[in-house]
Amino acid sequence: MESLSATSVAGVLLDLSGVLILLLAFACLASKLFNRYVVYYGAQSVVLSFAAGTAAVTFHSAELWILAALTLAVKGVAIPVAARRLLVTRLALKRDAAMSTGLSTSLIAGGALTAFAYLVTRPALLPHGTVAAAVVPLSTAVILLGALSMVVRRHTVAQLIGWLIVENGVFLGAITLVATFPFIVEAGIFLDIVAGVLIMVVFVSGLTRQLAEASAVELRELRG
Amino acid sequence: MTALAILIALSPLTGSAAALAGAPARLSGAVQAAGAAASLGCSLALLVILDGHAPLLAWDGFLDVDSLGGFFLMTVAGVTLLASLGSISYIAAQEDSGELSRFQVRLYFTFFGLFASLMLAALETGNLGLLFVLVEASTLASAALVGLEGRARSLEAAWKYVIISSLGVTIALAGTLFLFYSGSALHLGSNLGLTWPYLLAHATALAPQSLRLAFLLAVVGYGTKVGLAPMHTWLPDAHAEAPSPASAMLSAALLNVGMYAIIRFLAIAQARLGDTYPRAVLLSFGFASIVVGALFMVRRGNFKRLFAYSSVEQMGIITVALGFGGTLGLYGALLQMLNHALAKAVLFLSSGDVALRYKTREAGQVTGLLAAVPVTGAALLLASFAVLGSPPFGLFLSELTIVRAGFAHGSPVFPLLLLALLGLAFVPFARTTAGMITGNAPQLASPYRDRAAVAVTAAPLILGLAALLVLGLWIPAGLDTALRHSIAVIG
Repeated sequence: MESLSATSVAGVLLDLSGVLILLLAFACLASKLFNRYVVYYGAQSVVLSFAAGTAAVTFHSAELWILAALTLAVKGVAIPVAARRLLVTRLALKRDAAMSTGLSTSLIAGGALTAFAYLVTRPALLPHGTVAAAVVPLSTAVILLGALSMVVRRHTVAQLIGWLIVENGVFLGAITLVATFPFIVEAGIFLDIVAGVLIMVVFVSGLTRQLAEASAVELRELRG
Repeated sequence: MTALAILIALSPLTGSAAALAGAPARLSGAVQAAGAAASLGCSLALLVILDGHAPLLAWDGFLDVDSLGGFFLMTVAGVTLLASLGSISYIAAQEDSGELSRFQVRLYFTFFGLFASLMLAALETGNLGLLFVLVEASTLASAALVGLEGRARSLEAAWKYVIISSLGVTIALAGTLFLFYSGSALHLGSNLGLTWPYLLAHATALAPQSLRLAFLLAVVGYGTKVGLAPMHTWLPDAHAEAPSPASAMLSAALLNVGMYAIIRFLAIAQARLGDTYPRAVLLSFGFASIVVGALFMVRRGNFKRLFAYSSVEQMGIITVALGFGGTLGLYGALLQMLNHALAKAVLFLSSGDVALRYKTREAGQVTGLLAAVPVTGAALLLASFAVLGSPPFGLFLSELTIVRAGFAHGSPVFPLLLLALLGLAFVPFARTTAGMITGNAPQLASPYRDRAAVAVTAAPLILGLAALLVLGLWIPAGLDTALRHSIAVIG
């Protein structure tokens, strides 16, 4: 499989999607509302499915088409909708207060990590002029930003979204770098993500309920 | 042969099937143990059939078992058998006392079988993408075991485990992508191109810069599963909160599966980059893990946490052995993995019995174990000696081999440092376990229903210790050839 050149239409579109995905990762990092995390993640996944579609057209790959459709359906729609329902109706979460640094500090750290991603992947790794040389630093930056938001946020839901952003970053890299994972592996990765989200949601609800009960007990003990 | 490989991976699912069909704890456990025994038998047969011949290759490299894979299959299947035997009485006793509901018991055996089966399947695939899929799936299955008891502490441990490990494995996936990218010149179009034997055979055509990044990411990523410091933070919590037989599976099977993935990447990296770079990476992570493991063992408290930190230390020793390299280093590393798996399985299974009888997991509240529960006390004592590397047990032999490998390869500073750290780790571990074993024996009510259950509890302890003792006195010729063939595959 030959590498795409950065100046072809598909190359430009992939590059643009990469930039948008990075910006949405920053938006997530800068936000304090649980609703926003979910919206930004959903938007990021929609852009990602567009990128996968672009790659599918270029490489005439039916597997990439299926993947683009799956990304849109699962990551773009199903997970955000389900997460919203969980957050709003079941757990009644609104503002994320459990942060270990201020927003401005984490944004500056995010900027530094983006620069670091370019420093590591740009120079000798990738041949110049290919779309991979443009997109891989972006996807590395998205991976680092997702990991950063997992580090600075203590709340379980925020960490879950952080992991999903890391996953999106890897996926973006996968589209441009190789795009040759056999379909069964890609399907397996999808299945893992869905199962992972399900099991994590069980833990999140369990933990939130336990914490609520614990604080209720405390309140009762202090009365009188 | 293909059928044999499939049977190895699928046999543990018998326990899951029994649990799903609604069998009670004893029956599910017995079926589970039978499945694990079948799996172990098949993997021994496979190892004999392979015996240095061409690896078993089918389905475009999705199934690919060579001697190294066969050796790991045997280790994991053996641990699964011990832990399944240990599960029978442990889970039944917890069900009788009402600590686990019927639903939780079913959940336990369902995920236990799934967990074992996924790990065995991960060892059988040559496709690096599928390896990621299976390792991540095994993380999810085992997370359910960690959070099984449903208390706030176990849920927190399960959360920490699943989120840190998933992130780690995702990083390993990024490493896998960079590995494929380094092979751009090879035009890896076919499925066969994405398998590790192909990449190893064509290592000279890989681009060194991206391969370097790929190796580092793989060590960090799969190292998270291995419990290498500083990615080890999930490990003590998960091991402490999981039911004891599940802790045995985590420590003695799962960590080895992570190490297996690292060894595969190491072989490819060494073939292209030479020794210096992989060696530096492995020695750094290895020594960091030994230091962290030894230091955190000082704190007394939960004895399962103590064993967990000892696992961090042991995985550090194995990583250092891989870093020393050479035939001797690899031989020591593989032997240490097998020995550690046996010793840790015995330790965690006996800790399960202790926790049931004393109704605590705090080391300070356990005294007089040897007098109160002679079999478990003796098993704990002997397995502690084994884990600390004292003769006549297997770990003495493998640690000696590793230190010799260190002296054979370059500066004597590293093997001397290793020896010093082993001594440092000895003291806190021995102090805690000695406190548990000696002293006045309290009056304890037996948590088991009948004498048969007590005998079933003792069986895996005795089996594991006997194997450890055999490996310390003499390495069977068959095992020796299997180890040599494994080394030939990667070296």
